[in-house]
Amino acid sequence: MDVDRERELTADQRKAERAAAVAFAVAILAGIGLFVVYFSGGQTQIEGVLFSLILGGLGVGVALWASRLLGAHEAVEERHELTSGAAGREAFEHALAEEVGPTLARRSVLVKLLAGAGGALGLALLLPVLSLGPAPGRTLRETPWRRGSRVVDETGKLVTLNSVPEDGFITVFPEGHPGAADAQALLIHVPAGSLRLPPDRMAAVPDGTHVAYSKICTHAGCPVGLYRATTQSLLCPCHQSQFEVLDGAKPFFGPAARPLPQLPLGVDDQGVLIALGDFYEPVGPAFWDRGKR
Amino acid sequence: MTTMLERSLKYVDERLGTASFARRALRKVFPDHWSFLLGEIALFCLVVLVFTGTFLTFFYNPSVREVVYDGPYEPLRGQEVSAAYDSVLRLSFEVRAGLLMRQVHHWAALVFVAAIVIHLCRIFFTGAFRRPREVNWLIGIVLLFLALGEGFTGYSLPDDLLSGIGLRIFYSVTLAIPVVGTWVTYLLFGGEFPAGDIISRLFVFHVMLLPALLIGLVVLHLAVLVLQKHTQFPGAGRTERNVVGKRLWPEQTFKSVALLLLTTAVLALLGGLAQINPVWQYGQFRPFDVTSPAQPDWYIGFLDGALRLGPPWDLTLFGYTISEVFWPAILFPGIAFGILMLWPWIERRFTKDHAEHHLLDRPRDAPARTATGMAGLMVFFIMFLEGGNDIFGVLLNVSVEAITRTLQWALLVAPVVTWLVTFWVCRSLKRSHVHPARISAGLRLRRTAAGGYETVDLEPTSHPD
Amino acid sequence: MRRTAILLGGVALLALLLTPAAGTATQQQPGNSPAQFARGRELYQQACASCHGPDPAGQSAYATVPSLKDVGGAAAVDWALRTGRMPWKDTVGPVIERGRPRFGDEDIRALTVYIGRAVGDAQLPNVQTSPELVAEGRELYGQACSACHGMNGAGAALGGANIAPSLQDVSPEDVAEAIKIGPGEMPVGGGLPDYDFHSGESTRQVNAIASYVESLKTRPYNRGGAPIGGKGPVPEGFVAWVIGLGALILAARWIGGRS
Repeated sequence: MDVDRERELTADQRKAERAAAVAFAVAILAGIGLFVVYFSGGQTQIEGVLFSLILGGLGVGVALWASRLLGAHEAVEERHELTSGAAGREAFEHALAEEVGPTLARRSVLVKLLAGAGGALGLALLLPVLSLGPAPGRTLRETPWRRGSRVVDETGKLVTLNSVPEDGFITVFPEGHPGAADAQALLIHVPAGSLRLPPDRMAAVPDGTHVAYSKICTHAGCPVGLYRATTQSLLCPCHQSQFEVLDGAKPFFGPAARPLPQLPLGVDDQGVLIALGDFYEPVGPAFWDRGKR
Repeated sequence: MTTMLERSLKYVDERLGTASFARRALRKVFPDHWSFLLGEIALFCLVVLVFTGTFLTFFYNPSVREVVYDGPYEPLRGQEVSAAYDSVLRLSFEVRAGLLMRQVHHWAALVFVAAIVIHLCRIFFTGAFRRPREVNWLIGIVLLFLALGEGFTGYSLPDDLLSGIGLRIFYSVTLAIPVVGTWVTYLLFGGEFPAGDIISRLFVFHVMLLPALLIGLVVLHLAVLVLQKHTQFPGAGRTERNVVGKRLWPEQTFKSVALLLLTTAVLALLGGLAQINPVWQYGQFRPFDVTSPAQPDWYIGFLDGALRLGPPWDLTLFGYTISEVFWPAILFPGIAFGILMLWPWIERRFTKDHAEHHLLDRPRDAPARTATGMAGLMVFFIMFLEGGNDIFGVLLNVSVEAITRTLQWALLVAPVVTWLVTFWVCRSLKRSHVHPARISAGLRLRRTAAGGYETVDLEPTSHPD
Repeated sequence: MRRTAILLGGVALLALLLTPAAGTATQQQPGNSPAQFARGRELYQQACASCHGPDPAGQSAYATVPSLKDVGGAAAVDWALRTGRMPWKDTVGPVIERGRPRFGDEDIRALTVYIGRAVGDAQLPNVQTSPELVAEGRELYGQACSACHGMNGAGAALGGANIAPSLQDVSPEDVAEAIKIGPGEMPVGGGLPDYDFHSGESTRQVNAIASYVESLKTRPYNRGGAPIGGKGPVPEGFVAWVIGLGALILAARWIGGRS
């Protein structure tokens, strides 16, 4: 090393130089290590650490260089005026209006038609956007459940009054549509005599014990998959809305405002559970014209 | 070596005239405070995101067509999953360094938004958004939205159970938009949930539309910064008419390169050692399955918390419904981000300050602004806490109902208290001229010229800085 | 808690070594010896009768304590005692947490025999796990269990300070018994369709689910690194801010000036 240069470096700087050298050396070694690890099969944790050492070694070295070895001096720069000034703006307006100005003033009908044509183009360009999706139609109000739809579980197996033990519950669908997102419903077997529904709704509960509600939370649409057997309540995991199963799935805590729609059930002559119609209300979260037929 | 360098420079300069421009650029002065590097941290996270993201794009398949999984993750072997989910599993388990790149990408996304928020706080609390920098402030807020959009679309791409639940909630929120909600939702998703098209559409947003806007606006953001020159804290030799600091070359370049390398190093370390979004554990999204606990990535957490805090009030008039989701998920963010975007003009209405400002405020110099900012942060903080209410409930052995009720009350009370306390602290700091981080070294009695006594704050002997 | 895990692990390992078939050991059926019955009755009078009443099939001593008549029979006793939930530890709130079992294996078997016979439900589940069943178990788990326990078995809150406990460190017997009993807030049958303790199909499904739950313990697939609690984006966000951004702010302070 040059003796003259050495005398110019302070002790602090020599320490920094040594530390930077070590950092760069670590980076090189880590690089070699990474090659070895990668070509012998790779391992996520080791790869991450080695990459980090390469980058960190380089980073620490460069940072030391920046802070100790550059002989940093403060510099001052003057700010220039940001504005072009009134004169500058006038010149711009003049340049803009030079050729077009008189034309604009005299051909006002032409300009108006230009504007109209521009508007027509704008609207026309929006048309392909409308091809992105269908009209909502009645799809938000209807599900595949029909009067007479046999009740099946997720695998398509028919559900009877013996399918769910007392204090148990399963997820059910209409036959032919297992897994249909808007048709998903919870079938819950509650103890006899515990349901507190109005008489017309009780008629749609086979045996007075097997009640079915939509599984789609009326708040923001998550599947309400948590059934709490001792309190007979349903909990939605997304925002903690809780619904009282014995009371028509009315929400008693949380942000949901409406109960889970009930699915009317009956039993056919083979003992299989069937639906007596679609859900009593549109399922899922509310939307603008939900109240309209 | 040097003659080769000289010859190349001569070649480029003769064709593009770069030398004189480059010399001016390299001599540009940038003020020198660590808090001015926060925006750079965000920028470097974006660099990592673009590089790792490009790698991921080579492996990801944006299709919901069902395939049978036959990879090394045994619990899913033989199961039908979407091609998108399958491609992510394949990348995570069968591509060398694949899981590392995926995890670095995801950690970079989380830190990216965090860095933007911290940078935004620095701009806000130092008043850097004042004239002439209002436009850059607006660009910055738009960049924040784009980052949120990138993040949400990105983590929904693997079509796993957790992110699919989040998509369902997003669907319900767009449904809740008054008048046009159902149409907008069907156009965006391509039909009734779970419309199969949504994954490939999210892919277009995530890989093409949003990055184009993001990168374009970042370039604009930096260009405006260079044009207007950076702001600086007041101090010796610093005026509204100059910039005092270090030159771009060599000091600032070395520092920025060092920060880039260290940012990447931290992200690589996290990507290798800390597991994030293990989609194989969650499984393929199915619209009737759900998992607990269910939260979105942190930067969407405030919306999740707002939804949990929201009152169960839906409004029905003449057969038209405003869903209970409208208040927390549409109205609140609209108002909050509206205030955020328009803040330079809102503040100007109260301060009547139309002057150009290139010297920054210390937070205490603008007590009302600082107090409002802290109150705003408190509102968001409460929402973030509520977003994790079930996790905190298990941790603290407290019911989620108790946490929710407490935070609902806190939302009404805490921001007001925060505003008042912050305002009072700022004013007292301004008056006493004490640095908030300095511990008082004590008082000394001193004789005045008039013969009385006065107390003097002793300067502490060691600098906490 | 750790000792219980080691104990169960040791028993499983021993059984694994002694059993020629793949998978872990089957449940030891309680014997019918009069000695066990008598020992069980004695233990019951000492440790359980003060809350559950002098007759397991009769009324309990307090309104807040369930009678053992229809809580799930022998399986319920075995589950509560093996996981240390019973005898009751004077906890606060509705959650009765796992703990160290207060009785040894012999005594547990005795109590199981006695109470099982007294309430007329003496059979313990026969559970056999196998690596081949893990995929099917995962599918069933996703249908029936993940809503409360989480797909990775990390557990979650259930409202009202109830929790669905973590399943990342439980035995196959725990799984089979819990599905039969429906302890606490858990529904009987665990959400499985057509659940019947005695049917072959249900036994197969329970074996599959137990195999998947076992895989959460034996092959948790945390290939990405430290699972940070396995609770999803909330702890991940915490790490991103505190460790990720925290480290970078320190780096910025080191690199930048302090004017």
